[in-house]
Amino acid sequence: MGVLDILKGKFVDPTYAGVHGGGDIITTTVDAVVKWGRKSSIWPMPFGTACCAIEFMALTGSHYDLARFGAEVLRFSPRQSDLMFVAGTIPDKLGPVLKTIYDQMPEPKWVISMGVCASSGGFYRSYHVMQGIDELIPVDVYVPGCPPSPEGLVAAVMKIQEKIQTSQQAGAPQGAHRVGANGEGMYDRRARRAEWAKDDAERRAAGLPPRGVLSDLKPEPEIDHGAHHG
Amino acid sequence: MASAALPALSPALLEQPAVRVLSEALGENLLGATDFRGEVAITVDRKAWLKAVSLLKDHPELDYKLFLDLCGVDFLDREEEPERFVVVLHLYSVSKKRHVRLRTPVPEADPKLPTITPLFKGANWFEREAWDMYGIVFEGHPNLIRLLTHDAFVGHPLRKDYPQGQRHVLKEPRKWLLDVPHESEHLVINLGPSHPAMHGCFRVQALLDGEIVRDAEAEIGYMHRNFEKMVEARTYWQVIPYTDRLNYCSSFMNGHGWALAVEKLLGVPAPPRAEAVRVILSEFSRIMDHFVCISTNVVDLGAITPFFVVFRGREKIYELLESCCGARLTVSYVRIGGLAQDVPEDFVARCRETLDFVMDAAKQMDELLTRNVIFTRRFRDIGVMSKEDALSYGWAGPALRGSGVETDVRRDAPYSGYDQYDFDVPVGTTGDCYDRYLVRMEEIRQSARIIRQALDKLPAGPVIVDDRKVALPPKSEVYGNIESLMNHFKLVYDGILPPAGEVYGATEGANGELGYYVVSDGSKHPWRVKVRPPCYNNYQAYPQLLKGGQIADAIAIIGGLNVIAGELDR
Repeated sequence: MGVLDILKGKFVDPTYAGVHGGGDIITTTVDAVVKWGRKSSIWPMPFGTACCAIEFMALTGSHYDLARFGAEVLRFSPRQSDLMFVAGTIPDKLGPVLKTIYDQMPEPKWVISMGVCASSGGFYRSYHVMQGIDELIPVDVYVPGCPPSPEGLVAAVMKIQEKIQTSQQAGAPQGAHRVGANGEGMYDRRARRAEWAKDDAERRAAGLPPRGVLSDLKPEPEIDHGAHHG
Repeated sequence: MASAALPALSPALLEQPAVRVLSEALGENLLGATDFRGEVAITVDRKAWLKAVSLLKDHPELDYKLFLDLCGVDFLDREEEPERFVVVLHLYSVSKKRHVRLRTPVPEADPKLPTITPLFKGANWFEREAWDMYGIVFEGHPNLIRLLTHDAFVGHPLRKDYPQGQRHVLKEPRKWLLDVPHESEHLVINLGPSHPAMHGCFRVQALLDGEIVRDAEAEIGYMHRNFEKMVEARTYWQVIPYTDRLNYCSSFMNGHGWALAVEKLLGVPAPPRAEAVRVILSEFSRIMDHFVCISTNVVDLGAITPFFVVFRGREKIYELLESCCGARLTVSYVRIGGLAQDVPEDFVARCRETLDFVMDAAKQMDELLTRNVIFTRRFRDIGVMSKEDALSYGWAGPALRGSGVETDVRRDAPYSGYDQYDFDVPVGTTGDCYDRYLVRMEEIRQSARIIRQALDKLPAGPVIVDDRKVALPPKSEVYGNIESLMNHFKLVYDGILPPAGEVYGATEGANGELGYYVVSDGSKHPWRVKVRPPCYNNYQAYPQLLKGGQIADAIAIIGGLNVIAGELDR
């Protein structure tokens, strides 16, 4: 894609002789040029924690080559980057770290939540895993997959470029209302058993059999068919 | 003889050296011993815990010098166990090539046990983990604080009465790992949790005197995603995807290890073709893992070319795995009793082509690094680990062999038919970073040797056992006759039902001995699964390796230990 194609619509048509003289000058807004520059030179910060980070490496490697999108300058310092890839599960212990790093990134900034663990906790619905990073930080693009294929990530980067060009940015953490949401299996064997025992005792005190026990069934009375039967 | 007082011990058991020695020395404190699936498990009273462990370690006839694993198990509401908790220790004898399991019951009312950290340095983190997960107090432990979970956590999550999904939100991370004197003029720096050289998330706090590291302490748990709790609510199949995400650089091998452990528990071996394919793909995964380890290690030191060279080879291996099962990274290709489906028709040719490409990449990396002056100066005599310390810490795999301990599960306790293949076990001499690198490079070549042999005699036949209690019947039969349909239904609904018992399935993962300690109560869910993660032990020694060295060497050392967060914290 040439510069002119990218800026189509934002620029005044440069071939129109009335706008510029001789074809060497193009007119546009500063805003459009800055955004174009910004989206073509993303400096990503890989916040890689788990398996997804390995697929992220494949994305930056020679085969998939993120450099094609101008985003190959990986910065491990949040202060030098404008796009954060959260690649991998974020356990609760890492939550404050993630928030600190996000806060250290200069505005404007974007976040890609790579993979289902970062997006929703994935299949780790348990006691130490954050059920989606949007509990803490705003997310611009969620990429499904466990891990997502590098093609999926390329699509996500292109989505971010679109967002940059059209000035869209996620404002607040989308999942802030469910901070600390519990995972699955929220029952306690021992508590449940105690509950049942209490219920049984109450019923017994009331002269009733425990639930689910049919001990109060009386034997069926024998039917007297009468002497004349048959 | 003291053993006369123990009628429960059969003569066959007393022939086992460990049982004989312990029964003679401990008398009535030896509560029992079992031999299940060829594994000796000895239960001792906790009064004799220390004595039993030191006997196992130092008795010349036993010589269990390599620390493997220590964990707790919660037997809540299980009548057959005398107490609620049991602490289980696994040891290995390199000279005798034997495993042993030592158990001791710990009552719920008074969950205390003396620490074994003076005997095995590696026990430190394992005991902290057992306290964190079960609330078992190890008396005399130097630093019994939370290891995997965070400081705001309430309760002990692996207890059976802790609900799986109960979260606690952490606001402030732990600030100090080191005890720094107030007026100290030394500089304290944190490497990690988010640091480019920390592949994954772990943290080291170092006390610097100029460029020299005076003291260091590590913290883990940043990737603790509850593998062991989750699988207690899963069936034996459903665990397979979780195992893929342990060591995600070589995910196939984890599933392989899990399947072998469950097959051992069931007593159902996989068919020869499945085993051969498992070996081939495991060895490819090993090559891939070593590629990632070495290339990212040197990227951290500033050499980026090997990364681009070997990642092309790695991409080829991904394509091979994708052709077999459709996934690149997290493959889930193994099933209990075999493989999910047969390999593609052109598998052998594809493997040979991939192998040639990969070995070419390995050769290029070898040429770029092995005799490179800058590289050798950064690696030689850095992070030296002695043989004794490596055993005491329970190191594993290339790191252990780099320190000169000649052991390899593939050779010493062959599984999946590794005894049919001819290969060498490379061993280092000084135990520095360069030795660990050389061992890995040689292992890549040996893996290629194994793959070539396995390809030459890849057997034909089925890829999964024909046992309707273990493997699903083929779809054509399920749709064709009522019996298979019922088998299918029963297996999906009831799951695999192994006998009650405990096994420890060990395989040689890319990082070293990957063990699954599986406790079954006979139901469709595993009662307890403990992973023996090789890099957990390796990383535990990391602060010790740093002390007295340059801070820049910290980066060279960490890469060579190949710490994978998913496996480290589970």
